[in-house]
Amino acid sequence: MPMGHTATAEAGSGGLTATEHRLANGLRVVLSEDHLTPVAAVCLWYDVGSRHEVKGRTGLAHLFEHLMFQGSGQVKGNGHFELVQGAGGSLNGTTSFERTNYFETMPAHQLELALWLEADRMGSLLAALDEESMENQRDVVKNERRQRYDNVPYGTAFEKLTALAYPEGHPYHHTPIGSMADLDAATLEDARAFFRTYYAPNNAVLSVVGDIDPEQTLAWIEKYFGSIPGHDGKPEPRDGSLPDVIGEELREVVEEEVPARALMAAYRLPEDGTRACDAADLALTVLGGGESSRLYNRLVRRDRTAVAAGFGLLRLAGAPSLGWLDVKTSGDVEVPVIEAAVDEELARFAEEGPTAEEMERAQAQLEREWLDRLGTVAGRADELCRYAVLFGDPQLALTAVQRVLEVTAEEVQEIAKARLRPDNRAVLVYEPVAAEEDAPQQAAATAEATDENEEPAK
Amino acid sequence: MTELATMDLHPQPQAGEARPWAFPAPGRGTLDNGLTVLRCHRPGQQVVAVEVLLDAPLDAEPAGLDGVATIMARAFSEGTDKHSAEDFAAELERCGATLDAHADHPGVRISLEVPVSRLPKALGLLADALRAPAFADGEVERLVRNRLDEIPHELASPARRAAKELSKELFPADSRMSRPRQGTEETVAAIDSAAVRAFYEKHVRPATATVVVVGDLTDVDLDALLGDTLGAWTGSPAEPRPVPPVTADDTGRVVIVDRPGAVQTQLLIGRVGPDRHDRVWPAQVLGTYCLGGTLTSRLDRVLREEKGYTYGVRAFGQVLRSAPEGTGASLLAISGSVDTPNTGPALADLWTVLRTLAEGGLTDAERDVAVQNLVGVAPLKYETAAAVAGTLADQVEQHLPDDYQATLYRQLAGTGTVEATAAAVNAFPVDRLVTVLVGDAAQIEAPVAALGIGEVTVVRAE
Repeated sequence: MPMGHTATAEAGSGGLTATEHRLANGLRVVLSEDHLTPVAAVCLWYDVGSRHEVKGRTGLAHLFEHLMFQGSGQVKGNGHFELVQGAGGSLNGTTSFERTNYFETMPAHQLELALWLEADRMGSLLAALDEESMENQRDVVKNERRQRYDNVPYGTAFEKLTALAYPEGHPYHHTPIGSMADLDAATLEDARAFFRTYYAPNNAVLSVVGDIDPEQTLAWIEKYFGSIPGHDGKPEPRDGSLPDVIGEELREVVEEEVPARALMAAYRLPEDGTRACDAADLALTVLGGGESSRLYNRLVRRDRTAVAAGFGLLRLAGAPSLGWLDVKTSGDVEVPVIEAAVDEELARFAEEGPTAEEMERAQAQLEREWLDRLGTVAGRADELCRYAVLFGDPQLALTAVQRVLEVTAEEVQEIAKARLRPDNRAVLVYEPVAAEEDAPQQAAATAEATDENEEPAK
Repeated sequence: MTELATMDLHPQPQAGEARPWAFPAPGRGTLDNGLTVLRCHRPGQQVVAVEVLLDAPLDAEPAGLDGVATIMARAFSEGTDKHSAEDFAAELERCGATLDAHADHPGVRISLEVPVSRLPKALGLLADALRAPAFADGEVERLVRNRLDEIPHELASPARRAAKELSKELFPADSRMSRPRQGTEETVAAIDSAAVRAFYEKHVRPATATVVVVGDLTDVDLDALLGDTLGAWTGSPAEPRPVPPVTADDTGRVVIVDRPGAVQTQLLIGRVGPDRHDRVWPAQVLGTYCLGGTLTSRLDRVLREEKGYTYGVRAFGQVLRSAPEGTGASLLAISGSVDTPNTGPALADLWTVLRTLAEGGLTDAERDVAVQNLVGVAPLKYETAAAVAGTLADQVEQHLPDDYQATLYRQLAGTGTVEATAAAVNAFPVDRLVTVLVGDAAQIEAPVAALGIGEVTVVRAE
C-alpha cells in the first residue's frame, strides 16, 4: 500500500515540495503539486542504461527504448504516440549511460491516460513485441546513428573520447548509441530478456508534477501499476569506479574530412552527487562557460586563435564525471598553440583560484540553469526522478541549487589543482584532410562536436 | 501471452474535465522615446524573457555587405560607452543572464533571459547596448574573422548546406532571400566598424523598435524600470521600412549537392507559400501536421515506422517575412535524412505519400487528432516565459494583432477535413517542389533521376 509523507518546503527549494510513496511491488512514486498552469508531467526512470550492457550488445538499452513505443498489451502499434498526442500531450524517451527515461507532458485533465499507458508497457510490453518492430526500429536507430554521429563533422568525437577516457572493459567505455555491428547483432530474444531483467516496478521511479490532486493521482497509480509484479535478479552493472586521476595523458589524433582543426579533451572529475562535483562544475564554468570565461577571453578574444572554446560537464554518478573541453581553431592555427594556451590558463587557475567576481558569475549562471530546469513541470519531474534513482532521495533535487551556491572559492581551486591537469585527461586532436586524399569508405564529415549523451526515441 | 496475464487490465481511461487555458493577452504601451512595449505577467516564471525587435531587415543591408546586420547584432554585446567587451560579457553573466542576438529577413532580434531578481541590472545593460554600442574597430574586426571561420563549419553541416542551396534555387539572384542570411566569405570580409555603425545609425532607433517583457512581474515596477533603462535610448523618428514582395521559382527540379562518401542523404524539399495573413493558414498548419508534423503523421508512418529509411522526416511551414498588406511568404518544406542506398526508394515513397494525399484526401480521424494535438499542447508549449515572449515577438514582427495566437487556436478548432486537405495539397503540389539533396552523387544521382520528379543537376562540393 502507498505510504507517504508530506514534505514542507526546505530552504533553497524555491517553495517547491515533493512527497514520496512506495507501492507494494516496489515502485517508488514522487508527487509535486503546482497549480499555476493546467498541465501535468509524468516521468518514469528505469534504473538501466548503457552501462548495464554486455560485450557484443552495445546500443541495446537504447534500441530497447525505441521498442517501448511500438505497442504493448492493450496499446496497438504506435498507440503510445497517437494517444498522447491526440490528447494534446507531448512525449519521448531517452537513454543515457545510467538510466532510461520516458516522459509525457499532458493537459492536466489527461493525466490518467499517461499513467495507464506507462503502466501498460511496464506490465505487458512483451505481449506486443515482435520481429517486425524489432527489424524496423533497428533500421531507425541505425539511421539515427548516421544522422547524429556518422554523417556530421566531429560527430563521433564523443564516442572516441569516451572510449579513451574509460578503459577497455569499463561500463562507460562505450556510449548509448552503440556500434552498427552490435545493433545488427541484437535479437528479439535479447530484447525480451532485457525487458524481463530490467523493466520491473521495483527498478523504477515514477514522478508526477503539476496541476494534480495528489490523493487521486496516487489512487490511479495504485490502480494501474499496483498489480504489476516486482521481480529481483537484476545484475548490478560492472563497477565504474576508477582512481581519482588517470595518471598520464591519453591521446588520439583523428585525420578526417572536417572543416577545421580541433582540440577536444575529457578530464576525469568527481562523481555526481558530491560537493567536489559541484566545485568542478564551478571551475569549468569560470574557465570555459559562456563568453566571459578565461578560455574564451584568452583564445577567442585576445589570442584570436579559436572560433569557439568552452568547457562542459558530463555529470555521472556511477563513474567519474567528465570535464569536456572543445576548441575549434581559427584559420591556420595549429593545435599545439591552442594546447599551450589552455595549459597555461589551467595552471594559472590552479595557482590563483577564482576571483570573487568569477565565483559570483559562475554561481549566477548555474543558478539560472537550475531555475530553467525547475521552471517547467517536465524538467522538475525529470530532476525528481534523477535524484531518486541515482542518489536515493528526490528531495535533493529541490535543494541542488543551494548546494552549488554554498561551494567556496577554495574548494573550486582545490579541485582544479587536483584534477584539471595534463596527466588527468584524454585528448582528441582533429587534423583535417582534403576529400580527395581520404578514401571515403566510411565518410566522416563535419559540424559542431556534440556532448550529447542521450538518445531520444523521437 | 502469459506476459499479459500477470497484471490487472483496466480499460483506457476517459479524459477528465478540461481546465480553461488561453494564450495570454499582453498589455501594450509606448515609452516617451517611441519604443513600443508589450508586457505579460506569468506567475511562477522566475526567469524573465525580454525580446527586442529592431526594424533592421536583411534587405536593408547595403549591396556587397551581406552579413552586416549579423555583425551588428553580435557587436551589441561587445562593449558600450560604459563597459569594454570583456566587462560587458562579465556583467551580463554576473546577472545570470543570457543575451542572444541574430539578424533575419524581417529584422534583428535580441533575446535576454534573466532571473527576475536581476532584471533591473540586465535591462540596464541591454539598454546601454542599444543606446550606446561601442562598435570598437578591434572588436568588429574580431567578429568578422570569427564569422569567416564559421562559414566552413556551416558548409560542412548537411542540413545547413541544404538550406543554403534551396534559398539559392528558389529566389531570384537579386533577392536578398537567395543569399545566406549571415553573408558569404566575400561580403563578410568587406565589413568593418564604419559599416556596422552606418547600418546602426540608419536603421536602429526606439521609434521603430518593440520590446516584449514576459515573466513573473509580481514585485517589478516595470514602468519605472523601463523608464530608467530603455527609456533613456534616443533616436530620430522614422517610418517603418516598406517590405519588398517575395517571388520564387518552384518549378519542380532536383539539385544534388555532392558529398562523396556520405552515409546519408539530407533532403530538403520546398517551395514558397502563404503566410499567417492568408485565411488558409490554419488549414495549412493542420494539413501540414497531418502530412509530416510528427512520428505518426503520413510521411513518418511510411518512411520511418514502416520502412526504417530515416530517423524522422518533417513537413513544416516557416514564415520568411510578412507585410502589413499581406504580401509576405513562408517557406513550405519537407526535411530529413535517409540512408544513402535507400535514397531513391525513400523519395519514391515520399512522392507516393503526396500523390495519395492529393487523390484520397485526409480522413476525419487524422484531422481530429491533429486539432486535438495542435490546440491541446498550447498550455504545455507556453509554460515558460521565453515561449510566450517568442510568440508575442513573432506576432509583432509579422504585423499581426496581439490576439493572433489566441484566435488561431479557435480557427484551428473550426477547420474541417476538406479545408485541411486542400491546404496541404496546395502547399505541396507534386510537380512544384524544389528538391535539394546533400549526399553522394555517384550513388544517388541515377536512382533519383529515374523517379521523374524533375531535372537533376549536380553541384560539386566546394
